[in-house]
Amino acid sequence: MGRWLAFLILALAASGCAPVRPWERDALARPDMAWDPDPLGAQLGDHIHFSKEASLGGGPGGGGGCGCN
Amino acid sequence: MFPARVRMSCAAALLSVALAVPAAALEKGDRAPDFSAPGLSGGTVSLSAYRGKVVYLDFWASWCGPCAQALPAIESLRKEFAPGDFQVIAVNLDRNPALAKKFLSKRPVGYPSATDPKGALPAQFGVDSMPTSFLIDRSGVVRHVQRGFRESDLAPLREQIQKLVADKR
Repeated sequence: MGRWLAFLILALAASGCAPVRPWERDALARPDMAWDPDPLGAQLGDHIHFSKEASLGGGPGGGGGCGCN
Repeated sequence: MFPARVRMSCAAALLSVALAVPAAALEKGDRAPDFSAPGLSGGTVSLSAYRGKVVYLDFWASWCGPCAQALPAIESLRKEFAPGDFQVIAVNLDRNPALAKKFLSKRPVGYPSATDPKGALPAQFGVDSMPTSFLIDRSGVVRHVQRGFRESDLAPLREQIQKLVADKR
């Protein structure tokens, strides 16, 4: 009996982790909820970072290190 | 094979997934369920009031970028057809209807918008992206489901509406 009760409680509790429905994404759609509130600024920062670190970086463009790509 | 505890946990996990699965989306060929909801600017908006016309039912929200892009395009479509043949109905899904009213005061449209802050209607229609629109023929059957919106969707949409409007059965 206890085992079944635990099973039921676990099943009901786990189903509480429901996905956010498309029409419930109002808060997530706010600009301040974006990964990068300023995508252009982030790309520029990335470019400077990988140039100075002498690495290829994750952004577009080949080469690295010379700061000329 | 597995201990009872493991089997119980797996069964609980499967049951929880089954409980969390949303309702099936309305697809082409399904009959659109009738609804009646309060209008954003007062009154009531009901689907059955437009039976006999081709209806474009649009689910939108003020926070949704593609919805904002779609609204003027839908409005221009509406103006292309006779009101006796084609009608647009919108269902706004903002939790705070005041935000939708503010949005529409800046970008007014000539078609009615219902408000459903609790999201009962999109659940009933199985809306799975924003915006989602249903093109419903004169007899109340869904003939096209428009998920998302791009400018390039406008021409094929117009073509479909023209076909449905021409079908006077």
